[in-house]
This record gives sequence, structure tokens and C-alpha cells, in this order.
Amino acid sequence: MRKPFSMLGILAAAFVLTATAWGQPAPSAPKSSPPKNWVQPKTPWGEPDIQGTWTSDDCIGTPLNRPTNFGDRLYYTEQEITDRLNRLKTQHENDLKETVAEDQRVGTGPPGHWGERARRPCTQTSLVIDPPNGRTPDMLPEAKLRPAPEGAGNNNPKADTPNDFSYYIRCITRGVPGSIFPVIYGNGQQIVQGKGMVSVMEEMVHEARIIPTDGRPHAPSNVRSYMGDSRGHWEGNTLVVETTNFIGNRTGIVGNGGGTPTSADMKTIERFTRIGPDEMKYQITIDDPKTYVKPFTVGFPLTLEPGYQNFEYACHEGNYAMFDSLSGARAVEKRAAANKK
Amino acid sequence: MLDRSPYGISGRAWIPLFAALVVLFSSAPGYGQTPARPAAQVPRMPDGKPNFSGLWQAMGTAYWDIRDHNAQAGPFFQLGATGAEPAGEGIVEGGEIPYTPAAAAQQKENLKNRMKLDPEIKCYMPGIPRANYMAFPFQVIQSQRDIAFAYEYATSNRVVNMGKFKEGAVDTWMGTSNGKWEGDTLVIDVSGLNGNSWYDRSGNFQTDNTHIVEHFTLADADHINYEATIEDKTIYTRPWKISTVLYRHKEKNAQLNEFKCVEFAEDLIYGDLEKKK
Repeated sequence: MRKPFSMLGILAAAFVLTATAWGQPAPSAPKSSPPKNWVQPKTPWGEPDIQGTWTSDDCIGTPLNRPTNFGDRLYYTEQEITDRLNRLKTQHENDLKETVAEDQRVGTGPPGHWGERARRPCTQTSLVIDPPNGRTPDMLPEAKLRPAPEGAGNNNPKADTPNDFSYYIRCITRGVPGSIFPVIYGNGQQIVQGKGMVSVMEEMVHEARIIPTDGRPHAPSNVRSYMGDSRGHWEGNTLVVETTNFIGNRTGIVGNGGGTPTSADMKTIERFTRIGPDEMKYQITIDDPKTYVKPFTVGFPLTLEPGYQNFEYACHEGNYAMFDSLSGARAVEKRAAANKK
Repeated sequence: MLDRSPYGISGRAWIPLFAALVVLFSSAPGYGQTPARPAAQVPRMPDGKPNFSGLWQAMGTAYWDIRDHNAQAGPFFQLGATGAEPAGEGIVEGGEIPYTPAAAAQQKENLKNRMKLDPEIKCYMPGIPRANYMAFPFQVIQSQRDIAFAYEYATSNRVVNMGKFKEGAVDTWMGTSNGKWEGDTLVIDVSGLNGNSWYDRSGNFQTDNTHIVEHFTLADADHINYEATIEDKTIYTRPWKISTVLYRHKEKNAQLNEFKCVEFAEDLIYGDLEKKK
């Protein structure tokens, strides 16, 4: 027999539902072109003003590599977009449901309100926009031998030490470009600009990218970091950011910095172009001569959403997954040793 | 024959010197009075507000202990002189933190168990005010609205909301920062702290009731007078204040570097759970 809900449980459920409903409005159609009279706002010192807390939520779930059946087609048809909008609407209605049917399976994953949902359908068939087939170029043979750390997707990680886990699971970083690619949550990019300096506060793993735009040269090539050394300049209204000086062999370009790690020779060029009051075109060209046979470009929209804010992502501070994975693995070993005796 | 004063300065030469001293003292900040004349030249935003943008760092050894302290050996003899604690004058006004008896005992307990408890050792976010006077620089990016603080240690950061006061949705390590201008002083109200942060390596601590009001004032182009008033009725018997100076990095190639310290702390934190070789 089922136990009746406790009052506390009902209150907690009500809070969760309120938070979800409040945080995520009903999905709507993709943004149309910005109002004709819109002009790029400028900072008081005359640079394009691209400040605000942007999110890549709208392309959550869009694959990095285009499924081959779409060929060279980057954008969905109107009908396909309508279908996707309807799916988002159904998902939204399910999110709002207070109860599940008695015969329905219920998972034991994190509560639904942890995740973000796209507010409107992504119009793209893939995040890769160049080459025209929407797929990352072939990897060089030497890169294929580079070991990728085990990640969250692996159900049976070695778990000898933290070194067996990805840099993301260890709460170190998702790297460049992993810190901006859309995933299930934490996609916020808060931009604050000073004269000659742009900062991008990336929500997940609390990255703070400092991008000088005053023409100073890169840091010496002997100073290397996970997030690299960024220098920016303005081309019209576009912020162009060149990043070099990566440590290399740390994070890759698949979700959350996973996949085959890129090399120390990687250079990325990002382009942030605000195209309306609440929409920005984001593109990143990844040129890694030690990993891919040729450069390629990933692009997706960033949007400003009412009420959206970055939350402090205290990942390492609360990394119980690491404690649990390691202690679980040791317990399994202990049991196996005991069974041998 | 010239009229010589005992200090070798002629009578008339006293006049400009006296005037200079008047200017110097009347423009010196502190003591609660408003300077009678504009302060030293400070960088300003287009709207005339002081511009704090730049790379800053505290000197001194408050990161070891915000109170007066003697030089002493560090916890690991293997590090020799490099692991020792230098002496330093405290940054707590009046010298003592007004702990309640129970809180004073807690501080001693914290210090005794520092290697296990100090969030800095574990690469946890440092919180406020500790982030401001650690042995690491921080970068301020000041816009016409909000002001971003990026701290080198643990890639911690905060964006100070300069708009309508916003309460934090949840308690956090770095707290919720709401700023406003009082003349040329940037006043930041910090609330919503989760209570896990310390002030230094000596076990001085705060709780999730701690409320902090910071004052940033440019003394000149390259120095910030930093003050913070700290209030928490649950562990302090009265509000108390710290004050120190933040210095601008002037090196030609200085920039905020990356100090992702998680990997430096993993063996310490998880060592007993790692597979023995």
C-alpha cells in the first residue's frame, strides 16, 4: 500500500513545481528577425554593448554532428520546426504535471527542475555549421591514440583515483569550447564589459574568462592554461576572440569538454555578434593541426531571457560523486577480496 | 645674510611646504571627514564615477591571520623557511575580533584542525572578504552598470549588481553582492553567504548569518582603501571592521592567471579513498 504524502513532501513538491513553472515559460516559435529599427547599443566609451546574461539553452539537445540523412542541410524546414515546437510544448506540459500515473515508471535521477529546457526550437540540424556536411572533420591518426579520460557516460569507470575521471567530473573545467556549448543546465554566459576588457562569466564550473580588447599581445607561450589565453578585438559590431596557450591534452569538443582531448596547438577564433535586443550569434572556429585534418566552425544562438541568472556552480565544493565513486569502487574491491578467501 | 631656520629651510620656503602639508592632510582619507578638496587624480568612468578596473592585490600577511601575529613555523618542516608564516600587523580595527565565548572556542578548534577544515587548503571558494586579501591578484572589470570581480584563486568570481537591490535566491560561497555609490566610494552589501568561509588561515570564521558591507575608495590611481564592516549577532558581540590597502599591479605584462587548484588538493581530499598502489 502506498503511504500518504507527508505535508512536508507536498510543500516541497509545490516549491519545485512553482520554481519550474516560474523559471520556464511555455515554449514559443523561434525568434524572427529583430525589429527593423533596432540598432546595436554602444557602451559610453563607444564599443558595441553586448552585456547581459546570455544562455545557449535554445539549442539544448541539438547534436554536434549532423545526422547524415540531412546531408548538407543546416536548417530545419518550417514543418520540422513546427513538429519540434509541438514536442517542446508536450515536454513543458509534462514538466508541469503534479503527479504521474500509477502505472508509469518513475526514475531515480535528479529532480526535473535541475534541468533547463529550450524555450523555442533550435532551427539547426547540427551545432557544426562548417564544413557544409555539419560534421567534425576527420581526426589525425596520432590524435586517435590520445586517451580520453573516463566520464559520466561510462557506467563502469576504473575509479582508482580522481585522475581516472574527466576534468568536468573532477570539477576542474569544461575548457574551451566546452564551457559555452549547450548542455542540460548551467548554460549561462554573463558578459560584463569595461573599456578595453570583456569578461565572460561562464556559469558551469564558474569560469571567468578575461578578454583584453586593448591590443596587447598574447601571454608568453610558456604560460599555458586550461582555458587558454584570450585576446579580443572588435570587427564592426562583432567581438572577435582569439585564444591560444592551451595546456593541451585536457578537454575535448564533445559535450562538457569530453571526447578526444584537443592539443596544445589548438587556436580558437570566436565571434560574438549581437543581432537584436535579446539575441546573439555565436560562432567558434576550432583550428587544431595536431588533432583534426582541417579547421571547422560551430555556431548557435545565445539569447537573453527574462529573469535568467547565473547561479554559483560550487561543483568541487559539493563533489559527492567523487567521494561516492571512489568509496564504491573500494567497497567492490574489498568484497571481491573477501569472496576469494 | 639669509635667515636660516634650524631645519635649514629659509623662512619664506616654509610657506609652500606648509601649504603642501595642509593639502596632504586635508585630502587624506579616513577619520570620517569628507575631504575639503577633490582627492588625488583617480581614473574615472565617462559619467565621472571612479573607475576601479584593473588588476589588484593586497600586500601584507592578513591571509595568514587577520589579527596581529608573530612569525612562526609552518605545519610541515619539509617546507623549511618557505612554509613558515611571516609576522604581520593585523587588519582588524582595534585588534581583536569580538567573538562570543563559544565562537572564540570554535576559532581555536578550527585552527587546531586547520589542515582538515580550512577551505583554502581544499581549493574551495574563498568567500568574502577573504578573496580580497589572499596572496593572489584579482581583476575588476567595471561597466557603466555592473562590476565584475574575477579572483585568480580557484577561478572564483562575483558580479556586483549595481541595479535595484536583489536578494540572493540561495546562499552561496561568494554571497550575493549589491553595490551602490556613496560619493566616490563603492559600497557593496554582501549577504546570502553560506557560512562555510573563513577569513584567514587561522580559523577565524563566519556563519550563514554574517552580513558584510564593503567600502572601496580609490586613494589615488593605484591604491584602493578597502574596508569591510562585519556583523553577525550569533558569533560576534558587536559589529567589527577590517581595513587594508589594495595595490594595482603595474608590471608591463601582468595579467590574471589561471589557478585551478582542484587537482592540487585531490590527493589530500580523496587520498584515503584512492586505490593503494
